[in-house]
Amino acid sequence: MRTKLTSMLGLFAGLAFLVSHPVASFADGEVGEHVNNMQAHLENYEGEIAWFLDELRKITTAYEGGGSSEYTSDMLIDNWEAVDFHAAIETNYIQIYASIWQGIYGVKTSLDSGDSPDSVDAEEAGLRKALWQGLGAVKLAARFQSEGLTAAKGDIDSRGLSSSETLDTIKSELDRAIAKSAERLPAEATDIVLNAYLELFEGLEGDLITLDAELVEDLEKDFNVTLPQALSSELSLDSLNQVVSEMKGKLDQSKKLMQEAEESRRSVF
Amino acid sequence: MRRREFNKALLSCTLPPCLGQARDSDLKVKSVDDLPELVGEISLYLGRGEGGLYENVLKAITDRNPKFKLSIRRGPTAALANAIVAEKKAGIRRADVFWAVDAGAIGLVVDQEIAEPLPSELVNQLRPNYRYRNWLPVSGRIRTLPFNTNALEVEQIPRSIMSIPNEGFKLGWAPEYASFQSFITAMRLLEGDEATSEWLQKVNSSAKRYAGELGVVMGVERGEVDVGFANHYYTLRLKAGKPDARLDLAFTKGDSGCLVNASGILALTSSNTVFNFMSYLFTKEVQSYLSSEAFEIPFVDGVALPQGIPRLDSVSPPAIDLTELSDLRPTLNLMRELRVL
Repeated sequence: MRTKLTSMLGLFAGLAFLVSHPVASFADGEVGEHVNNMQAHLENYEGEIAWFLDELRKITTAYEGGGSSEYTSDMLIDNWEAVDFHAAIETNYIQIYASIWQGIYGVKTSLDSGDSPDSVDAEEAGLRKALWQGLGAVKLAARFQSEGLTAAKGDIDSRGLSSSETLDTIKSELDRAIAKSAERLPAEATDIVLNAYLELFEGLEGDLITLDAELVEDLEKDFNVTLPQALSSELSLDSLNQVVSEMKGKLDQSKKLMQEAEESRRSVF
Repeated sequence: MRRREFNKALLSCTLPPCLGQARDSDLKVKSVDDLPELVGEISLYLGRGEGGLYENVLKAITDRNPKFKLSIRRGPTAALANAIVAEKKAGIRRADVFWAVDAGAIGLVVDQEIAEPLPSELVNQLRPNYRYRNWLPVSGRIRTLPFNTNALEVEQIPRSIMSIPNEGFKLGWAPEYASFQSFITAMRLLEGDEATSEWLQKVNSSAKRYAGELGVVMGVERGEVDVGFANHYYTLRLKAGKPDARLDLAFTKGDSGCLVNASGILALTSSNTVFNFMSYLFTKEVQSYLSSEAFEIPFVDGVALPQGIPRLDSVSPPAIDLTELSDLRPTLNLMRELRVL
């Protein structure tokens, strides 16, 4: 299913990407109204994580005990997609969302490959850490939301985005592409990058090229060649993060240039 | 049928709109100081484009008119045009004004006979060849042939778009790009489907493909290709950021290769507030802003062209009703049939 979200406010110091997206798609069911009132659902999220980790423990314990048809590695994905917390973290902190998927696939691959219990435990520990980090991020997001500092999810195009806001949105879309890659959805990840280019960056690059043509050339290559190739090659998350980190540096440079240009732009009247 | 009726409604569009000749001694571009204060509230459907420059114009208008409230719904131009038509069929009218980034989308709405006739005082502010009864072109862009100056001299480039694929040039194009598809629609209308099909096949057999037309222009500058197909402003913008760019513009003559397309505006309700608001877009201040900042072609006299555009009397756009560019489906079908898309 696809859900359109637009509002965008990057507001917190600690959370660089508490933003929504021009077009966001989610891997599991409806996003749910709970994401617009997260404070009221924190207890539920916390309960879901406890349940998920309990089920995780059962799966790994069954594995270490010689395997069980009742607790299979596929249940990890089913369980994760069943919880509301999934949407809460995806809409608010996409980088941790990616880490959670990375952790889930880390455990699943370890189980499916017949790794030693120690290796499985190490993967499980990574996943647990990512989930608790995610809960912390959602709690912070919920507090800002309850204080009215973030816009409701689901508002479509309530205002025009400035070039700076558009560039921030592109950065969050790149994080979303990494998250989809972590979900083992490379085609969807590539679509997100190409859509970010066509729907967001292309509207800016005409202005940007008057300021720094070489920077635009670099970013054109990144959007159309470097990152799509990296995604289709299914590089490790760390390697993908490196590619995206370099792109974000160029986008930050673009933002600086465009802010300076906007400040010195002649007025209409 | 409706198309024919619409064509009759044009005040003037059958003469080639040769920009440099479009002088009218009665024309006097207005200043914002000549306009009445805006009072009231209107709803605008705004097609996305030109970065934030259209937004800057709208903000300047609302800042100047504190008793005026402008509600804006933004979206892709084609989607908004479809929304307006769907709302009309549902008996709803939510928009008072539609500002589209291309004339094809205007045509889609005009064909439904829901655009209000415009006051002649408003229409007559525009150059004579760009006066229409129920929509106004706001600013324009010319189809061009950007070429690499290391590879070619301008004299080596034919003045006929249909000859370009026969010259052995390395060509660059962006067939997915909306402006390119409008250009192919114009070619279909002017040359026919058969000739257009042959042209597309020739280009498709050898041209290098880019995601967008800025990419085409950059590819030309880098020397990856000799000649590209692109709107004029990409070249001007690249040259603004890279003054020593190995790049210049060539123009064909009287055919779709030098089509002048336009962003346009129309009224869906009739009121002084709506028409006065539209007047602001044709002031010398707004027109010169769009020319200098967006590199677009102004449609009122007395406003300087973007720097880098040649004398306009050397440019001869084809005689074509721009709103016919909304007839996009046969173009897309043809391009898909030929596996261009």
